Amino acid sequence: MSNLYDLLAFEVVEGIEEGLFTAEEYVCSVIKRIEDVESKLHSFISLDSEGALSSAKLIDRKLKEKENIGLLGGVTVGIKDNISTKDIRTTCASNILKDYVPSYDGTVIRHLKENGAIILGKLNLDEFGMGSTTEYSRFMPTHNPWNLDYVPGGSSGGCGAAVAAGECTVSLGSDTGGSIRCPASFCSVVGLKPTYGKVSRYGLISYANSLEQIGPICRSVKDVVMIMNIISGKDMNDNTSISSSPITINDKSNNLDIAIVKELIDGSDDAVTRTIYSTSEKFKEIRCECNEISIKNLNYALPSYYTLASAEASSNLARYDNIRYGFDLPIDDYKWDNYFSNVRKNFGEEVKRRILIGSYVLSSGYYSKYYLKARRLRSLLRLELLTLFKKYDLLIGPTMPILPFKFGEKIDDPLKMYLVDINTVIANLAGIPAITLPVGFSNGLPIGLQIMAAPFEEQKLIDASYALENTINIQRRPNLI
Amino acid sequence: MISKDELAYLAKISKLDLSEDEAEKFPKQLERTIEYIDILAQLSSDDPIVLDLQEIKFDELRDDVINTSGGRPINKNLTEDGFLKGPKMK
Repeated sequence: MSNLYDLLAFEVVEGIEEGLFTAEEYVCSVIKRIEDVESKLHSFISLDSEGALSSAKLIDRKLKEKENIGLLGGVTVGIKDNISTKDIRTTCASNILKDYVPSYDGTVIRHLKENGAIILGKLNLDEFGMGSTTEYSRFMPTHNPWNLDYVPGGSSGGCGAAVAAGECTVSLGSDTGGSIRCPASFCSVVGLKPTYGKVSRYGLISYANSLEQIGPICRSVKDVVMIMNIISGKDMNDNTSISSSPITINDKSNNLDIAIVKELIDGSDDAVTRTIYSTSEKFKEIRCECNEISIKNLNYALPSYYTLASAEASSNLARYDNIRYGFDLPIDDYKWDNYFSNVRKNFGEEVKRRILIGSYVLSSGYYSKYYLKARRLRSLLRLELLTLFKKYDLLIGPTMPILPFKFGEKIDDPLKMYLVDINTVIANLAGIPAITLPVGFSNGLPIGLQIMAAPFEEQKLIDASYALENTINIQRRPNLI
Repeated sequence: MISKDELAYLAKISKLDLSEDEAEKFPKQLERTIEYIDILAQLSSDDPIVLDLQEIKFDELRDDVINTSGGRPINKNLTEDGFLKGPKMK
């Protein structure tokens, strides 16, 4: 048998149930892997090895006593550090929450635990999910396991790197404008942003509520299905959540009509373009039709996204007022405004920039010029996409228009950094599901294919991804040590 | 160009104290972002805003249930005799 930490989630569950290895042996293998590679990657903000080992022992005991160990019995999960975990520090990679320990589990965490998953620790991100590289984490940047000089993508960069490197079986990230798909693409793993409402956001620390969703990052499509079926569903604590049908792995894709979005290809790196076109040819091998189409309103998508996300951020982050979250500063030395602004010095530069832009686009005189126009574009884009989905089952293009880049390349120019999200924000604006699948490499750097579907049509994404995954033969594990 | 005064006003309403370095570089960075989103001005103001991302089903609102908060206690420097005491307004 290969290294235990290399196993996929469904192999872990099968192996433990069949007695090929114990949950404790598996968790020990993953912890050893973390000890070996974490000093190079910096994926974790908090690691709960002790808690993970005691959960593993409990699973082994249950199995011995012939009790049910759950659908994810023994699977180790890394959690993006903006999802609340009871008694485990949840920082959002921000100084303002560096000592915050939630008193409750987010709904997704509760579902994972109820099904036997083992929460291994909390993974690095750009502060409050604002960024595409993890360079905006206030603690440290995470490194790309395929080349340590390069960024892993973001904001869920710790999730992408840890899964790719075998530091956990799967991870949960959050995606506001591409934050699951960008690191999954840059780290050559599979990442799914579900339809808005499919997964409860209760316990996800808010950045831009109307755009964000929690979703899985895994090493295989089959693992994505396993996790999605556990975390999806209606939750009374999130009134935007909706119950939906479970998804499955089908061995045959069903003659899907697929469209390549021209605007997503235009402007991409040559290597990315070549790989996406050659991948589109593979769809024909699995009996899918593939045509090229245009989306009229795509020009406006990224400016709309940054208008709406910043506006929502400026409102959401107003809660960090040093009363409910912050530090126990005495009040005698301060006046009202200074008391709040003093603690808010703990925000990093990117968070401050987005709050300021949000205040700007919401202020009198600019509200109708920017914010309302962005809302209108969002409606137009969704309607245009829903019309296209009447004709096509899936829309495809590169997840990221560029290859992973080196640290420091874009950090001094915020606009340059924003532009890397150009292909991913569409799905968040329209509330549709989108998956990224590893499809190739250029100079050792990963390339991902993005597939989008109509709301709640995750099954079509899975059918196409699973079929494609089985036809593409690429290296699956980085040579880290 | 966003002036330093405009930036100071935005910072004030956002309750942010900016460092000297931030006050120096933010105007240009914010200006570039605002120039970029200015393309939205080309959009018609007549198109409707359709709030259909998720139709909220109000009949499914949960009942209010009173629970004890297990969360972080409110900043202890701000409580006195069971009341919340804030810093001076002026």
